[in-house]
Amino acid sequence: MLRSTVINPRQPVGLQELAALAAVAHSTLGPNKRYKFIQDDTSGESALVCSCFRILENLELTSAVGQLVYETVQAQQKVFNTGSGCLLFLAGAWGRAALECVHRGISVSRIISGMSDGFDLCADVLRKCSISTDGLGAVKSDSCTTTSRGLGLQMSKKPIMEDSRASHHLSVGHKTLNTGGHRKIKLSRHFCQPESKNVSTAPQPHQFFNVGHIAEGLSHGCVQAMNLVMEAVKLQSKTNQDLSCSTFDVTKVVTCVVPGLPEEHACVLPGCIVLLSDEQAAVAHHLKEQHLKVALINGDLSHAFRHLGFSRPAGVQHVSEQLALSSDKEEVWMVKVVALLLNLEANLILVSGLASEKVIQHCCGRRVLVVEKVKASILKAFADATAGVPVTYATQLTKHCVGTGVKVEIWRDLGGGSERKSSTAVNISTGGNSGLFTVILTSCIRGKLQALEDQFWACAYRLHHALKDRAVLPGAGATEMLCIRRLRQRAVSAYSTQESEAGGAADLDRGVVLHLMADGLIDYISTVMVNTGRVSKVRARTVVSQQLQERNGHVDIAARLSQLVLEGENEDSDLKSNEAPEMDVYDNLSVKQEAWRKALDLLFLVLQTDAEVITGVDLTTGAQGNLMLL
Amino acid sequence: MSRLVKKCPSLCVDLPLDNTDVCNKLRLLRQLLASCYGPTGKLKLVHNNIGGHVVTTSTSSVLLAAISSSQPLVSLITTSILNHVSRFSDCGLFAATLCLDLIEQAKQSGLRGNVCIRLNRHFLGVCVSYLQRGDCCCKVKLDFCSSHNLIALARSVISSKPACMLTGQETLHISKLAVQAFLLTLPCDKPGTVSLGQTVTISVEGHSVLNSAVFPGLLVDVTGVLCIDKSENLSSHPLRTLLFSASLAGDIPELGDGIIEVSSGVDTDAQILDQLLDLGKQAVEDDVKLFVCQKVIHPVLQQYLRSQGVIVIERLGITHMEPFILLTGAHPVATLHTALPAKAYGKVRDLSIRQFGSKTMLHLLGPGESAICTMVLCHRNETMLSELKVVCQKTEHVLRLTLREPYALFGGGCTETHLAAYVRHESTNGVTESAAALGCSQSEYILGMDRFCSSLESVAKSLEHNGGNSLIDLTHAHHWTLPADVMNRCVEDSLGFCGCGLVEGSSSKKWTYLNTKYAEFSPAALTTDSPVQPRVLDSFTAKLNALQVAVETANLALDVRYIIKDVN
Repeated sequence: MLRSTVINPRQPVGLQELAALAAVAHSTLGPNKRYKFIQDDTSGESALVCSCFRILENLELTSAVGQLVYETVQAQQKVFNTGSGCLLFLAGAWGRAALECVHRGISVSRIISGMSDGFDLCADVLRKCSISTDGLGAVKSDSCTTTSRGLGLQMSKKPIMEDSRASHHLSVGHKTLNTGGHRKIKLSRHFCQPESKNVSTAPQPHQFFNVGHIAEGLSHGCVQAMNLVMEAVKLQSKTNQDLSCSTFDVTKVVTCVVPGLPEEHACVLPGCIVLLSDEQAAVAHHLKEQHLKVALINGDLSHAFRHLGFSRPAGVQHVSEQLALSSDKEEVWMVKVVALLLNLEANLILVSGLASEKVIQHCCGRRVLVVEKVKASILKAFADATAGVPVTYATQLTKHCVGTGVKVEIWRDLGGGSERKSSTAVNISTGGNSGLFTVILTSCIRGKLQALEDQFWACAYRLHHALKDRAVLPGAGATEMLCIRRLRQRAVSAYSTQESEAGGAADLDRGVVLHLMADGLIDYISTVMVNTGRVSKVRARTVVSQQLQERNGHVDIAARLSQLVLEGENEDSDLKSNEAPEMDVYDNLSVKQEAWRKALDLLFLVLQTDAEVITGVDLTTGAQGNLMLL
Repeated sequence: MSRLVKKCPSLCVDLPLDNTDVCNKLRLLRQLLASCYGPTGKLKLVHNNIGGHVVTTSTSSVLLAAISSSQPLVSLITTSILNHVSRFSDCGLFAATLCLDLIEQAKQSGLRGNVCIRLNRHFLGVCVSYLQRGDCCCKVKLDFCSSHNLIALARSVISSKPACMLTGQETLHISKLAVQAFLLTLPCDKPGTVSLGQTVTISVEGHSVLNSAVFPGLLVDVTGVLCIDKSENLSSHPLRTLLFSASLAGDIPELGDGIIEVSSGVDTDAQILDQLLDLGKQAVEDDVKLFVCQKVIHPVLQQYLRSQGVIVIERLGITHMEPFILLTGAHPVATLHTALPAKAYGKVRDLSIRQFGSKTMLHLLGPGESAICTMVLCHRNETMLSELKVVCQKTEHVLRLTLREPYALFGGGCTETHLAAYVRHESTNGVTESAAALGCSQSEYILGMDRFCSSLESVAKSLEHNGGNSLIDLTHAHHWTLPADVMNRCVEDSLGFCGCGLVEGSSSKKWTYLNTKYAEFSPAALTTDSPVQPRVLDSFTAKLNALQVAVETANLALDVRYIIKDVN
């Protein structure tokens, strides 16, 4: 019997749960990611994870708040493939801030309105301090700009703040460089609209677009993965004859994980590489260096397969009048399909679903290569490139459904142990016009492959979004610093209105909320610094607060921070001097904005919740202490 | 050999309302529902014990549907409220809170059950007849010449659900869309019986609320169907349309419990497919350009139709069926065993493609005026989106109710406090006669009235969840809230406007806390030519019915003498 139960404790429980969950993923923030083992006590299985999303995926959260967190992170992951760690951390950190507010007796509606204001401020900062990707990295060659390093300059390209007072506080654009490479030094207080407009509209003699520089800044510690991404971008832009690399189409990229090879063997190749069994590889050997016709199957390749929505009749009985040896239906079907394929001269079948073992073998015998589990986007790419039409049933195939001009090559025989089924990597390509690229990811440790694949996709999507946004944010905590500054200013002004006769308790509360929100961001920056493993929490906090206190602290926050992050490396090897070219670090604009927004949405939901309704509780297991039964 | 199992005797509970366990459950239900009430209400997470999707809500229809109880009295009340909500959409929480409050008050008062029931019914009658009077001072007549009051009404409904997580600007945007959609479903220039059109709601996750929009006609999600060639010039003349409600998946439909015997060697699938292709051929011969099916279409048939230049839409879904029929005039074909009758075909005037984030939609416009419109709702995440969808459908219903009775009640708790003051005032005149007529003593009558009125007032008080105080002014009897942290000395300054936003605080007014006794007075009407419009409005029809449902349900619960439970 379905029963419902109501738990009724006060809200902080939800917030505490949120903060506790967030704490689990702290180690995945920042460039130095730590691996975690998640072990299942009942089955003894374990997983090696190193991203926030994978941690949550493996935790199997059953509580309501846990489920909400997982749904939110999943949504972020689905669209952006990155930013989940930031989302969860801030949900936790701001959750703690909200908890503190609740303890101080601030009402929930005031916390929400205060935090919404805070978010608007931050969103405004994000918009204003975003750097256009056009011309980014152009100054890199200019040796005299090592100190300003790309960060400060583009601030001025954006329409600068509405009033001079704001710009005085905010501007990181302390020094300005225009894209031509001339150096202009400006004190922020003299900034005024017309001049900044001049800079922004200055005709650019050549569209310098240094995608490598942007990619480097977005690698966030995954240098290897980003190198692969860069390679893919370069190859893709060469095919598209887009020399500036201004877009990156992630749907045309496939990953192929190959266990057993050292990680340095990772590479990017044109075409679609799949791992095949020895038997299939033999067919591929036979087919290589031929122009093949290809059939595209959208579904499973098997006798019993029926399209989605087809319901098998339950009450059908087969009656036969004589005791004839019934011929095997599958056999009949297979013969029919292979005959059709041979008639159409299609030697290659790409199947989005599964193909039955029997079919694969039968086809191999007729020198027809069957490749299963092809991603839908790849199937589409092949359809576009070969003029083939994907069909659901093999029997649907007609002459005009079959694509042409596909080539099969043996890329490498990985033929290791005999126990491994898929041992040959085969490259299926369409002669260079499909734009498909495969990234081969390798590792000697099988458990690491998933993490490597995740890292690759995270980097790929970061670059993809940066190019799509045509803007990036100064990274390494610089953006957060600006937000902290802005939040604190607003908090102070809220305090001062509270003291004046016009304000009331509401302004005081707003100040407290904004201040605590800023603390959440400080926590974020210092955790990232701590995760580099070279700074203690205390030191990290000190550095951040020093930066904040310095009146002219906005000289170059990113420089100091990234310097600090890299400091250890310099200590490690004396060969690297401090003068060594440092890296610019960038973050994604849309990813960050959306992650923050989602973190706040999640927090607000939890904050406003005062009870949980649990259905389907089995009373025989015994009710827990704080449950109330309806 | 059959075994005989001894039947357990039925369980009989005497006077269930005297049982502490039952009372605790009713109190819990009241807390649960009252804490959801109003724009600052608390949310509830509804989930299953074994995990799965979590619903965040404060809407009575969602919440009550999830609640099931082993206690028949609780089920009686939830069913009654759900029934009200299914008919009127709004004021479910109001009805539930009032009902549970009346039960609790009745028990506390110590009045005899039948007296209590009679009194409740009497005071309900007083309220209802007052609300229906022309000079009732807590309602406004809706003026359809201006959208102002309609938007205010929509906005009150939408802003009362905090799980939608809307900012002020977003609330206004959605309110305007709701009113726009409502107006689009009103057919104009049609003689004879007027029947309202329909609004179809489509939700798109991951976009800003401000991207939500309303379109005349019907939008159909065709994401992933790469069939429509944008270059094709289709909109030159009306497209002939065919609609199937039967599945065209090629399987054997609805066998029920029966059995079909098939002789071996017969391929049923192929035969059905042949039949489907025959249908397809006839459709192509009859120049059908848009082929739609509520359910799945066999891929082979799809391929054939597309090769003939027909646009194919499958899985239209049951919710889209009726709007589609109204829009195109097509008659849905429910079988594949007959030739297609000519009158089954419908028409689509225009067809275009719209993109909402990752979703691709086909926008269909009917040949004539059809009063069908589509509301595309966008929100950042799934939880908030599903609540927004519920709220928008609710709003649409509330707006439709205004066509029947073009009135709205003051929201923000003002109607409740006003009614309470009115009942107190009316009932103090002629206590003797009324008491005699109802067959109770004068003290019983006064006690009953007091309980009834404080139930109404406590519903108004339930709007406040942040520890603030509820007040009533002693002129118009409107409802006011005082934030928790306001010092006593500046009460007058902190009271800006009353709950519905019609009365402004001034030093000439007097207030009293809602739980304190005040001398009865006749609540004064506001000057009618006042330019100020109420900011918060409640549905008149829904609230009136909710009031009746609450009192009747409470009376029924008070009337229950035994609960007999079959435990077998």
